[in-house]
Amino acid sequence: MFLALAVTGAAAVASTAGAVQAKTDATQALNCARTTFAIPVLTPYTGPAAFLGQDQGSWAQLAVKQVAPKLGLKARIVAGDTTLDPAVAATAVQKALANKNVVAAVGPATSGAAGSTSPAFFAARVAAVSPSATNSALTKGASPTATKAFFRVVADDSVQGTLGAKYIAEKLNAKKVAVFDAQEPYSQGLANIAEAYLKKRGVSVQRFSVTNTTTDFSAIVNRIDRDTDVVYTPFQVAANAQNIAVTLREQGKSAVVFGTDGTSDPAFKFPGSYLTNFAPDISADNSKKSLVDAWKKANPGRTFSAFGPPAYGATEVILRAIKHACTQKKGSINRVDVLRNIKKVRIADWVLGGSFRWSTKTNDPLNGAFWLYKINSSGQQEQVAKLG
Amino acid sequence: VSAGVTAPCASVADALFVGAIDWDQLAQAVVNALTLGSIYALIALGYSMVYGILKLLNFAHGEVFMIGAFVGLGILHLFGGAASPGISIWLVLTLMVVAAMVVCPIVGVGIERFAYRPLRTAPRIAPLISALGVSFFLQYSVQLLFGAQHRTYDTFLMDGGRLFEPVISWGPLEVSLLRLVIFVVTVVLMLALWLLVARTRVGRAMRATSVDREAAAMMGVDIDRVVMVTFVLGSSLAGAGGVLFALRADVFPQMGFLVGLAGFVAAVIGGIGSVTGAMLGGYLLGLVETVTQTYITTEWSNLVIFSILVVVMLVRPQGLLGTAEIRKV
Repeated sequence: MFLALAVTGAAAVASTAGAVQAKTDATQALNCARTTFAIPVLTPYTGPAAFLGQDQGSWAQLAVKQVAPKLGLKARIVAGDTTLDPAVAATAVQKALANKNVVAAVGPATSGAAGSTSPAFFAARVAAVSPSATNSALTKGASPTATKAFFRVVADDSVQGTLGAKYIAEKLNAKKVAVFDAQEPYSQGLANIAEAYLKKRGVSVQRFSVTNTTTDFSAIVNRIDRDTDVVYTPFQVAANAQNIAVTLREQGKSAVVFGTDGTSDPAFKFPGSYLTNFAPDISADNSKKSLVDAWKKANPGRTFSAFGPPAYGATEVILRAIKHACTQKKGSINRVDVLRNIKKVRIADWVLGGSFRWSTKTNDPLNGAFWLYKINSSGQQEQVAKLG
Repeated sequence: VSAGVTAPCASVADALFVGAIDWDQLAQAVVNALTLGSIYALIALGYSMVYGILKLLNFAHGEVFMIGAFVGLGILHLFGGAASPGISIWLVLTLMVVAAMVVCPIVGVGIERFAYRPLRTAPRIAPLISALGVSFFLQYSVQLLFGAQHRTYDTFLMDGGRLFEPVISWGPLEVSLLRLVIFVVTVVLMLALWLLVARTRVGRAMRATSVDREAAAMMGVDIDRVVMVTFVLGSSLAGAGGVLFALRADVFPQMGFLVGLAGFVAAVIGGIGSVTGAMLGGYLLGLVETVTQTYITTEWSNLVIFSILVVVMLVRPQGLLGTAEIRKV
């Protein structure tokens, strides 16, 4: 415990010192023609969510390869491993901000890392464009984590929780729902939103709380009423949703498990279960075939999850903001110029389908949507509908 | 009466009235408690035996349990995974348990040889700190080797999901094949251990060493060998426990810490140093945890468990079946 406190304390000191240093670099000019812009991709490359790093890093790489030459820019991706630990994320962010060729970053990928590092990005006047951090407080409300330097290219949890609950009530016709949380902000936020919506629609709700380290769900599943129609599991550990689904069947209960983007992982594979995600499966979209083929060519033998393509989008937003700034400032830009240009970006052919533009009220996309996936008999996630 | 009871306690109050009991839920709770208690008992035995012989709290024991679960996973993948193993699933399951019971003792003996034996004559705090160090060393070594993600055995895919079908249906009582297997295997292992300790020469040497190490050595007992046998037995039980536990739970590098802690609490409640006490403590803890989670709330379960630990320490420090140490002054 002492070691953990010491490490956290050291990270906080380093974060403050780094922010002061980084702030002095905010107005340092970079020549657009001569600079190879470094774009950090801040995501878990190791640890329990390492698949995020593999997916997001490779899609960001593809965006740099395809978009930068079209805009006449030179750019490269720099990997920043945040794991799922805010202290590690703080160190990765400070390392990224210390690089004078960094004017904006893709990420942080997770809400915890995004919240804890958003003030450091703001102090350095560097835009952080996340492809997957969905906690609503990151862009809304008076939370200190909601700084003007944080942006995301996908919809947030207030949309996800409501749309998921709406589908449960209207399409699955649920009369009784068990709502779980994992005693951390991501799942508590989603669980609260879903519970409030379902109750408003007259659905009976049982609320349960577990932790990310819970290993045996037998007793808690035993408390779920037999006539429960749906079990809502907004977890970050997909294997826990899987465990609940299996334990339900073992106890002869037929409730359908309904997860969220946090459970969008191969570990959650119980047939008949659902989950919502902020991105569609673009491999099923014919208009994106050439893009998917280009990714497959660059990553032979690999597959990608729905977390990958939004990283392409976030990278494209950053590159276009750099281009806007370069044009506006006649070839010599700094971090502040790029930050100011992020919200001016509009993309007609958006990686996730349709077009992209920002909301005028928050640093969220306009009319953000979520997609619904169902797990088929082979345990694969199949996209079944667009929500919202 | 129940109108005045607050929500979390309502089900407890309801349960006090026989008419209000949900028999399905109660029967399931008993089954859950027996399964969980069996695993806790297996781990508690390892803690208890090592403490009995060396007076050492082997906090790395939970990590041996975790390594057993990983060994089982490796064997399962070696034979093609849960859905389509190359051989009979029962043979695969047997091999998983046997492999864990072979690999874990090697780990256990290694821990004893390199982390505990050099400190055998050191003050008691030294091996305790060493044990904590070994615990974290093993957790992070496994994390470096295999990653931190949660994995599963995909037991629901084994034999077309038949392991989850009920094999005992008696009124509200339904027991799945998997739970029956876990319970029977753990009971057989515990009985085998009890027989070994109570009826064999090695067991007699272990008991003698636990009573008085120096006197046992003077009577010709090879203490190093007894310690090694103790670690072999404790670690093989932990390895088997790891595989049996992971049939119903996730496999990840930190899994042994919390389950190991529960095993330690079970050993203390039952009477650390006592084989039958460890078994009793395991089942008691499984029952308390299950009842708390089923009839009160999940959030309170650790609170209740550790409160019981404190009460047992205050009222009966030697545990339920432990014997008070007599010191000559």
